[in-house]
Amino acid sequence: MNKGFKIFAKPYIVWLALLAILPMFVMLILAFMYSEGLSFEEAYFTFFQFQMLGEYSILTAFFNSFLYATITTVISLVLGYFVAYNVHKSKFKNKFLILTILILPMWSNLLLRIEALGNLMEPNNIITQWLNINGDLSIKGTMPAVIIGLVLTYMPFMILSVYTALEKIDYSLEEAALDLGLTPMQKFWKVIFPLSLKGVATGSILVFLPSMSGFAIPEFLGSGNILLIGNVIEAAFRNMDYNLGSLLSVILLFVILGALIIVSKVDKEGETLL
Amino acid sequence: MTKTYPRATLKEYGYKDYSVLKKIYKVFSIVAVILIVIGLYLSIIMLAIQSVNSSSSVTSFNSFTLKWYAEMFSVRSLKTAIQNTIVTSIIATILATMLGTLIAVGIYSFEKKKRQAIMLFNNIPLLNADIVTGISLMLVFSMLLPIFPYIFGPTTLIMAHLFFTLPYVILSVIPKLKETDPNLMDAALDLGVRPFKALRKVIVPAITAGIFSGMLLAFTMSIDDFVISYYTTGNGFDNLSIWIYGSMGRKSLTPSVYAFSTILTLVTMLTMVGYQWFQRKGRKVHVKR
Repeated sequence: MNKGFKIFAKPYIVWLALLAILPMFVMLILAFMYSEGLSFEEAYFTFFQFQMLGEYSILTAFFNSFLYATITTVISLVLGYFVAYNVHKSKFKNKFLILTILILPMWSNLLLRIEALGNLMEPNNIITQWLNINGDLSIKGTMPAVIIGLVLTYMPFMILSVYTALEKIDYSLEEAALDLGLTPMQKFWKVIFPLSLKGVATGSILVFLPSMSGFAIPEFLGSGNILLIGNVIEAAFRNMDYNLGSLLSVILLFVILGALIIVSKVDKEGETLL
Repeated sequence: MTKTYPRATLKEYGYKDYSVLKKIYKVFSIVAVILIVIGLYLSIIMLAIQSVNSSSSVTSFNSFTLKWYAEMFSVRSLKTAIQNTIVTSIIATILATMLGTLIAVGIYSFEKKKRQAIMLFNNIPLLNADIVTGISLMLVFSMLLPIFPYIFGPTTLIMAHLFFTLPYVILSVIPKLKETDPNLMDAALDLGVRPFKALRKVIVPAITAGIFSGMLLAFTMSIDDFVISYYTTGNGFDNLSIWIYGSMGRKSLTPSVYAFSTILTLVTMLTMVGYQWFQRKGRKVHVKR
């Protein structure tokens, strides 16, 4: 490619520096200060926010975020891998169409989907009315409700990443494995699964990060009983406590930085991220 | 005197008969995949049911009606929210597609080491938690407040959408750039075409598929975004997600919004299926020729 075209990328580097890197430093500074919102007139340097970190509610929120995100990732991985593998193996000619069908739910509004799921989890809803169920089956406000919501929302990302990785595996490798006497089960664990690890890694990151940091799903499906770290950050900024909010965001940023490093290791140019 | 031995069976050779197990597994996997797909569609199905319910309560079904479809735009605030969403998403998508393609070409012109470093930064908006991205942008835009007092609103919303959609376009264009013949550009230049014209006439046609898939992704992400928009829009400029969030908080969601969502789902579904059908037809005609 013509070296002269480099000029197109340079403004983008500035844009990323201004909108992605600069605010990280602003948050880092805010985390060490006491200020009224964003006005720095009476601001002073303090470690007060760090004492807040020891608060029971914040520790629980962090613990819950990791717990829920891990459970969601594991469930999505098992189910998503299963779906991706079966679509990959299926004899349908038009696999693109099947994938589209799997992703299509992502195109209607996330909040509406959550609300609809939440209605299904209420003690009285249209389905219980039709099926004439009188007992209380409601799970809204509990851990399974939030996890079901997270899995159903973010699993498509896993399916897509794993499927992309599976499609790249050379079919002759599978034939070779069978020729050399592996059973189908061994073939899967010794050949296919290791080769699809790239997709598993990116898929897990794409599921783990939003489930850890989102605030809408726990807010509506947890009916206020369940606090994740996203909810605490949202509440902090809503109450104009920019300092605590910034500190928590910076901590979250370190987790994301870890994910970024993993991605740059397994996939140098971000090819499986889509 | 020859001794007759019984014939060795397949089992004695170490062959294990898995055919029954295989059949069971096959049925199981089909059922499981169908169940998972139904799970993914559960909320969409519920939305569709709620949109044809004559009662505006979501707990009981009265009778079938299409009145919410007819009244879709009668709620003023919903109508403006839908308009805002569509306008900002379209503007952001067009800008992201054009700029993203140019940026991708630019990034691709760098040597490999630098390119990977830029891609690492390019992944930040993609992997960053929505809430952190939203707050970061809000902080940057707030710092601009002394210079532009009225910046929060459509401008910041479009800029924010541009910020998180650009990486998607870039990520889908670069693999296509890698696939193009590196000699194409040189050939065009040798034939006396100016670099920019060569880019337009030679490179862009070669990477159209990547540009389109990037555009589709950008639009998808932009039209459904809630968290980032929530932090970067100004007072009184709501997009659909923010409007829904507000109404959900007040427990005053009108079924018209279910109707709008259902129509949107049906239209996208039909478009995708239709596109597939046309493509296959096109391919068949091509083969016949």
